[in-house]
Amino acid sequence: MTAIHLQNLVKRFGPFTALKTMDLTIENGEFMALLGPSGCGKSTTMNMIAGMESPSEGRIMFGDRDMAGVPMGRRGVGFVFQNYAIFTHMTVRQNLAYGLRATRRPADEIARRTKAMADLLQLTDLLDRPSAGLSVNILQRVAIGRSAIMEPAIFLLDEPLSNVDAAFRAVMRTELKQLQRTFKQTMVYVTHDQLEAMTMADRIAVMDHGVLQQVGTPLEIYNNPANLFVARFIGSPGMNLLQGTPVETARGLAIDLGPLGLTPTLLPEQAAAVRPGKGPVLYGFRPEQATIVGDAQGMAMPVTFVERIGARTILHLGNGPQTAKTVFENEAGFEQGKILHFAPHPAAVRLFDAATGTALKGH
Amino acid sequence: MTRSLAYEALRYLAILLAVAIALIPILWMASMAFKPIPEWQATGSALTWIPRAPTLDNFRFIFGTSNSDLIVALDRTALKPILSSFLSAGFGTVIAMTTGTAAAYGLSRFGSGANLPLALVQLRLFPPMAVMTPVMIMWAFLNMTDTWWGLALVYGIVTLPFAFWLMKTFFDDMPREIEEAAMVEGCTRVRVFLRITLPMMRAPLASAALFVFILNWSDYLIALLLTTREWVTIPVYMASLSSSMTGQLYGAKAALGLIAAVPPVVLGVLIQKHLVRGLTFGALKQ
Amino acid sequence: MKDDAAKLGFRLTLPAQVLVLFISVFPLLMQLYISLTDWSPLSGLNWTRAWQMWNSFANYSDLIHDHRLWAALGRTVFVMAVCVPVEFLLGLGLATLFMDNFPGKRLFYSILIMPMMVVPAVAGYMFFMLFQSGGPINDILSGLIGHPVTIAWLSSPNLALFAVMVADIWQWTPLMFLILLAGLAGVPDDQIKAATLLGANPWQRFLTIVLPRMKTIIGIALAIRVIECFKIFDTLFIMTGGGPGVATETISVYIYKITTQDLIWGYVAAIALAILIVLSVACVWALKRMARQ
Repeated sequence: MTAIHLQNLVKRFGPFTALKTMDLTIENGEFMALLGPSGCGKSTTMNMIAGMESPSEGRIMFGDRDMAGVPMGRRGVGFVFQNYAIFTHMTVRQNLAYGLRATRRPADEIARRTKAMADLLQLTDLLDRPSAGLSVNILQRVAIGRSAIMEPAIFLLDEPLSNVDAAFRAVMRTELKQLQRTFKQTMVYVTHDQLEAMTMADRIAVMDHGVLQQVGTPLEIYNNPANLFVARFIGSPGMNLLQGTPVETARGLAIDLGPLGLTPTLLPEQAAAVRPGKGPVLYGFRPEQATIVGDAQGMAMPVTFVERIGARTILHLGNGPQTAKTVFENEAGFEQGKILHFAPHPAAVRLFDAATGTALKGH
Repeated sequence: MTRSLAYEALRYLAILLAVAIALIPILWMASMAFKPIPEWQATGSALTWIPRAPTLDNFRFIFGTSNSDLIVALDRTALKPILSSFLSAGFGTVIAMTTGTAAAYGLSRFGSGANLPLALVQLRLFPPMAVMTPVMIMWAFLNMTDTWWGLALVYGIVTLPFAFWLMKTFFDDMPREIEEAAMVEGCTRVRVFLRITLPMMRAPLASAALFVFILNWSDYLIALLLTTREWVTIPVYMASLSSSMTGQLYGAKAALGLIAAVPPVVLGVLIQKHLVRGLTFGALKQ
Repeated sequence: MKDDAAKLGFRLTLPAQVLVLFISVFPLLMQLYISLTDWSPLSGLNWTRAWQMWNSFANYSDLIHDHRLWAALGRTVFVMAVCVPVEFLLGLGLATLFMDNFPGKRLFYSILIMPMMVVPAVAGYMFFMLFQSGGPINDILSGLIGHPVTIAWLSSPNLALFAVMVADIWQWTPLMFLILLAGLAGVPDDQIKAATLLGANPWQRFLTIVLPRMKTIIGIALAIRVIECFKIFDTLFIMTGGGPGVATETISVYIYKITTQDLIWGYVAAIALAILIVLSVACVWALKRMARQ
């Protein structure tokens, strides 16, 4: 079990920069998810941790050991591939024992540890089955067991659930989380699925275009996105962002949204972050964090579309370039074309600098 | 994965050695083809690697426009053998491709002729020498010995397995939805095959045909048995080129060999993509 | 509708069926018939009346005592047993060198597969020239050793066989290389990486991952070469004509000689038939084994 330190890590492929100066520390025993859309540099980061690719600049430290020049077979890293890379021409037992055999452990030790691992992962009955044709959750267990048997300090998982159908993912997520609790290893989990990251990870590192956007616990990232990318990317649907300028009103500071009118007044700590006349800001709030208010209060936007998804109803609101979505539990009384009067929970409002895209925070 | 410099150096060394071995025989023949007679054989200890006085005499000689410095005159030029090679290999290809493509389509789409795949592989298994005497008897009976069409017919049969297997894998790979859509629109099956399938398969058909042509062009044994004088092919003609006066006609043969070697090498580059598929009867699609 | 399809399918496959029947059944029956007689194209008799020369299975009993035949068979198997493994190992070695990308890969690849494109008879002539006593091979050897080498490769029985095998290996190693490279490219990259991460060294990865995954392809490559090598004729015949003496006489060369020189076609038919039967049995056996796996 080891902490991973990425220091000023850069990766270039020819003229293309896949990763721009990344600094990240993954604590010992932590489950860290690298989350981002495809091409954001998350897989590159992981491949460098595993030693499949070498950094163009910067250092990777496991604890206090510099990994430069250490070949991937000697890093003590367990890796679970997207398609599991099970050796399908072997039995489950041969898969589990592969690493021990390759490193020439004594036969009795191999037998003992293989059995122990199989017991732990409930694979005992399947040990002598050919691994081709096993179901995905068993393949996942074999893949994890095959790495775990080498007792790696670090576990890397490359989108292991992306080939699994949606219905089965929940089961696999639970199983994976339990396995992590069992092994207590440092785990790095690459995914583009925020649900996976949110439900399993201790902390999430959100990445985009080779740049680390934000690192934090799932709730921190959900509640306090550091910038517009994270605000939009996290949450389903993502955060509403309405453009406006701060203005002083009789009741306090509010945001003038142009044709949409004024927002409710900001809380003092929000007001501290913006000053009137300082330039445009984005007024953000989560779709889930709005309530319907009386006709004369709050904000008014016409409903352009009513999307009913079972228990929840998503209202698409729009007025010219400014659009928003709100999510309500009850589905009574929403009609396309009507004007919706609503107000975000005052504490849930987030403000972003329209020019830089970063979150504005009061002190 | 980065590999050590030593590995890279060794790799290049090994590959360059292999490349040299692959090229030397070909280059030697090419060099020979342009050498004048005195340089054909080693004089004393000095072997001529690169022609000192390059000449086209060898080519002129085999095409009969010059006797070079040889006392011998050829009783016939290389023109007719070249023509014979082209005609027999070409028409052999036409026979193999038409029957092979039709049969492959029949099997791929209608499941007809299920015995063909195995029967055709078996056909490749037998040494041609073991089935040629009956053919020789029959060809003599039909007056087809020593004709390009008699040779072409045998070529067509011998290379049919390749044509069939290649086209079968190509048809199997082709999505059926397109044909089905055309049929829904009222086209008959024959029309679909002629108007939709074949035009779509133009590129695979071309590579299969080139592949089969190379095989036919490469034959020596069958032509040796079935042609005697009028329609001998290039390899047979080449082997017969020798003179009691000068022994082996090295340069002339090399020139002819060079001419024979050009089409397959050029065509081979064209169909590189499908080479593996062809050579393994479609088992490997690369 | 269904009948129409069946009818069309039948019509499409008919020409091929006719050709196959023509080249397999007709020669078989004819061989069977002639093999029971002393018939020869010189006998003055039309082949249809060959029955007049019935020789009560004499051809078949001759076959058993034909030392030249058995020697030729032994030689063919020997050439096969040496050339195919050498071609396989060289081809596999070259293919592994070509597994990842490096500058010049495409060019080298194109050059390396050239030998198999050369018309075999022409290849035979190339090696005929190369192995002349005053030829390039002796010249290179002279350079290496330091004093003139004048080995008469093609007139010494053992060396001639060696020379013939060199030519075969030169021409057909590229085929192995081509097929095995395609096979190597089909081994999933992830599996190799997974094995590496589990601590396997390159040799272990090759033995436990690459080879097992290529089993079928290796089987196909070997089968193709064994079959083709058994038929070996063109290159060899141009180089040595089966000589000196019978030193390089393989099955195909032997049958060719007794067909065109001795003209004992009844006997040729008996040999041919025996070969066809043995090969068919071997083929069926091999296919059955393959089907079982």
